[in-house]
Amino acid sequence: MSERRPPTDTDDGTAGESLPDDGTVGERVPDGGMTDGGTTDGGTAHSDRTFVSGEHDADGHAFPSTSEIRRWLVTTNHKDVGILYVVTSLFFLLLGGVLALLIRVQLWAPRAVGETILNPAAYNQAVSAHGLLMVFWFLSPFAFGFANYVVPLQIGAKDLAFPRLNALSYWLYLASGLLFAVSFFQGGTFAGGWTMYAPLNVPTFMPDVGASTAVLALVLFVTSVTVSSVNFITTIHRMRAEGLTLRNLPLFTWTILLTVWMMLFAFAALLAALLILSSDRLLGTTYFALESPGGSLLWTHLFWFFGHPEVYIVFFPALGVMAETFQTFTGRRIVGRKWFIAAMILVALQSFVVWMHHMFLTSINLQIKTLFMVTTIGISLPFDLMVFALIYTMIKGRIRFTTPFLFTFGALLLFIIGGITGVFLGAVVLDYEFRGTYWVVAHFHYVMVGGVTALVGGLYYWFPKMTGRMYDEFLGKLHFGLYFVGFNLLYFPMFVAWQTPRRVFDYAPGLAPWHKLATIGGFVLAASFVVMFYNLTKSAFAGDPAEDNPWAYSTTAEWAIPSPPPLENFPGVPTYRDGTLSFRSDAPQLTAEADGGTAVGSTSSATPPAAYDAAREAHDEPASHASIWPLALSVGMFVLFFGLSGLRGGSFVSGAMGAVYLASSAVGGAVTFGSLLLWALEPFDAPAGGFGEAWPFAGVENGKVGMWVFLASDVVLFGGVIGAYVFTRVAFGWTGWEPIPTDPIPGLLNTYILLTSSFTVVLALVAAEKRSRMGVVASLVATFLLGVGFLVNKGIEWQHLFHEGLWLSTNVRSSTFFLTTGLHAAHVIVGLLITLFLVARAWRGAYLDDSQTVEYFGLYWHFVDIVWLFLFPLFYIL
Amino acid sequence: MLMGLRYVLSALALQSELIPRGSRTFVFQRIFVVFLVLGTLVGIVVITYMLYTAYRYRDGEDRADDGVDRPTLGELPSVGSGGGGRKLLPSFTLSVVIVISLISWTYGTLLFVEEGPSAEESMEVQVEGYQFGWEFTYENGHTTDGVLRVPAGEPVRLRVTSADVFHNFGVPELKVKTDAIPGQRTDTWFVANETGNYTAQCYELCGAGHSYMTADVVVMEPDEYREWYANTSNSSSAS
Repeated sequence: MSERRPPTDTDDGTAGESLPDDGTVGERVPDGGMTDGGTTDGGTAHSDRTFVSGEHDADGHAFPSTSEIRRWLVTTNHKDVGILYVVTSLFFLLLGGVLALLIRVQLWAPRAVGETILNPAAYNQAVSAHGLLMVFWFLSPFAFGFANYVVPLQIGAKDLAFPRLNALSYWLYLASGLLFAVSFFQGGTFAGGWTMYAPLNVPTFMPDVGASTAVLALVLFVTSVTVSSVNFITTIHRMRAEGLTLRNLPLFTWTILLTVWMMLFAFAALLAALLILSSDRLLGTTYFALESPGGSLLWTHLFWFFGHPEVYIVFFPALGVMAETFQTFTGRRIVGRKWFIAAMILVALQSFVVWMHHMFLTSINLQIKTLFMVTTIGISLPFDLMVFALIYTMIKGRIRFTTPFLFTFGALLLFIIGGITGVFLGAVVLDYEFRGTYWVVAHFHYVMVGGVTALVGGLYYWFPKMTGRMYDEFLGKLHFGLYFVGFNLLYFPMFVAWQTPRRVFDYAPGLAPWHKLATIGGFVLAASFVVMFYNLTKSAFAGDPAEDNPWAYSTTAEWAIPSPPPLENFPGVPTYRDGTLSFRSDAPQLTAEADGGTAVGSTSSATPPAAYDAAREAHDEPASHASIWPLALSVGMFVLFFGLSGLRGGSFVSGAMGAVYLASSAVGGAVTFGSLLLWALEPFDAPAGGFGEAWPFAGVENGKVGMWVFLASDVVLFGGVIGAYVFTRVAFGWTGWEPIPTDPIPGLLNTYILLTSSFTVVLALVAAEKRSRMGVVASLVATFLLGVGFLVNKGIEWQHLFHEGLWLSTNVRSSTFFLTTGLHAAHVIVGLLITLFLVARAWRGAYLDDSQTVEYFGLYWHFVDIVWLFLFPLFYIL
Repeated sequence: MLMGLRYVLSALALQSELIPRGSRTFVFQRIFVVFLVLGTLVGIVVITYMLYTAYRYRDGEDRADDGVDRPTLGELPSVGSGGGGRKLLPSFTLSVVIVISLISWTYGTLLFVEEGPSAEESMEVQVEGYQFGWEFTYENGHTTDGVLRVPAGEPVRLRVTSADVFHNFGVPELKVKTDAIPGQRTDTWFVANETGNYTAQCYELCGAGHSYMTADVVVMEPDEYREWYANTSNSSSAS
């Protein structure tokens, strides 16, 4: 194989060389199926080490080593990104944890007016930020640290499908978290609970700039999640080793696959909710205003449509870690594997039809309550099966209670308690009384932090693989002991003191002893993490070197390669052709494929899908694993969003800060735009898919799959926004609602313009296939001009409406009209920027050899047109 | 778990009335106790079995190779099949039966609670939440702030809304609770059997005063109540 092999990321190679090759790996893999360059010794790991050290410094200048800071700023490698995710998420765990301790201190005793430790407003911020940080910035990213590191290894891929987008996901995640941290210093962060109920969430009731910043931080976070979902979906579907059919996928990868599918749709719904909320806060629309019909309920629907799948999004990776570790540490294959998978798929699907069980006490009627009671029970049952499957897996096992298993075993126990107490909530009559009390708090902490328990087990499980060193077993067990005691001391008393209302610190005095116990438990739990941080930090640098496979009976591919794995992961192309893992060296050389085809840009839309041929064109230059643009783009968006937080009612706040926000928006916007452009022009080789199993996308390249998947999430985004319009209009009275534009003619004209522009994009594709440079340029220019025509026409129409006194904030009818069609117009503008980019490159002869970029852009453009075909009748005719 | 099922059946059989009906407090207590007993039982059985299995099959130096087919590195998951699969479906089925029968049993009570008392046999009070308190309006238009007076033993229907943000009106001792949503009206009801003072509380985070957003609920002897009510008129008062 002639592909580049950058140096290993072990700093001195001790991990490999000081270990005797005892041939354990070889023994477990029958008939020496693993080959590396003709050496059939079965000991892949061994031969791989040789290959790694042999290549040291071959072209080290291209990619800095792990000891350099620069490496961590430019890396796009999935293993580096995984480590970054884990470390950063633990940082946010500390932040969320400190807030939790503040909450517990406040709850040490009932606090009458004037006796509080935190003042009431600060307490509300603490509970809100604690919830948001833990759910968004700790739990999922922690799990996705492992997903980043382990999933490509388990499926036999060299990296994710779009490495630069993966780096972007990480940097956007970090930027969003830092933006959230900044919000504390802008008069106070969001203080309306993690559920952010309306209308408390609008400036009328929560005027602090920090509250807007927190909402924007969430928007940025959702962008990161969407990019990540597109990437993982494409990777897991398209880049599996030969023989690794979906049926044969390791369970951790299965849980991640289902998680990212849920994420794709659920977070798009959240994005719709957050965009509308941002618009209410920054531009002055009135969706959630007190006066709007149904605004309060609209938020609960939008939020919980996301919020319930989110529970499973957070929990599934933990379930995957449990499944993996139960198999490894009991030495048994999971019982009823196919039922286990079927149960998870069922949960993933059903998770989208249970959201109204969070709304049993709102004005929804009995029929709907009954329906959602049924679906809720329905979704609880598959978990019974999974729990039993895990328990029965232990039978006839050789169970070793090492730290990872202690944690996942403990997690199962906690999950059983969380599950049983959840059935209470499924009984609507009981739910009526539990609503808003500590029963709910205790229940979801048993489930969610139960999940964290499993993920901590995962951290110990993969720690040797990620660092090449072993953690201290005694300290690990000590951590578990403290953790388990602290956990139960913290959360179990909450069941007993369940009559305490949520987010209230002046509770009935009789409950105080239980709250004191919980507070003590909270500190024990916190102390257990001190042990973990000490253990892992010390071990990462001075622990015993870890073997390739430190765990007996592990089966998945990450244990068949060195700890830590070399940059390119495998010594050959992994295959399961013969029923077991082996590495082929006779594989046809893979053609490299560039990423960027589906770049998911800012809040609303896509970035130039043009990197593809940029890479082709500049093929003489050696392509690299490194790119600074994901970081630069994230910095730009951080600065931009910070600036936008200063908007109120469509203009910047007055005074010196207003100027700061304005400047920040301008600079941030420029950096964002520049980074996107340079990203698109940067040569970059991404691994191609389709070398093994790729169902159901075997015949489609990664870029196209990515674009489809992204558009699927965009469908949900528009679905959410259009749904919000329909919901508001129904609440208002459908027939009493006059369309905002009195004259439908400009809208009709725009319909024709857009349809024509779709046609010209098709012409561009045809011209590219016929290798006609002028044809491509002319068709794209025509598309551009038609798009500009659309915007000019719309601009004139809006100008008229503005003169009639109608604007975003006039009333809820005008709010829905301007925001929904404005979101569409933003999609058009992004499309036009891409078109400009394509024109410039087509002028120099691009796309003639490969028309894929034009084709992907066409998919996006047609989608934007189709959306308009829905908007026109909804906003102009009906 | 069979024991658990038997418990449900006997618990159901022992009750003269299968579906709990009565005051909100009564139906809640009845259902809660059954869930608590059953939940504890199921929890103990499952967790004990889990701990026992883990202990029974623990690894140890004295364990001889028991000839069990162990997973190997690099195998495809579908190669081997774990034992014990035969237990999976029966246990699952049992849990399904327990959960579904429990929830169906409570559904009867849900219908009863949802139907509520009829307009003739009950009084109605409008409740409006605001930042940060509760205002009550009686049928004669009399409005009070922060104090709700009701007669003991008689059903009271509440029509709840909010003047500003999303609140939730609940009286924990009386087991009555409903959302207070601006622009929407939610209905609920309760019967207070014992006279005395109770506290209503907001159960949805609503701003800085959320913790202190309470109201007194005074349950009076019916005669006393009627006397008080007769003296009220279409006006506001603080009590």
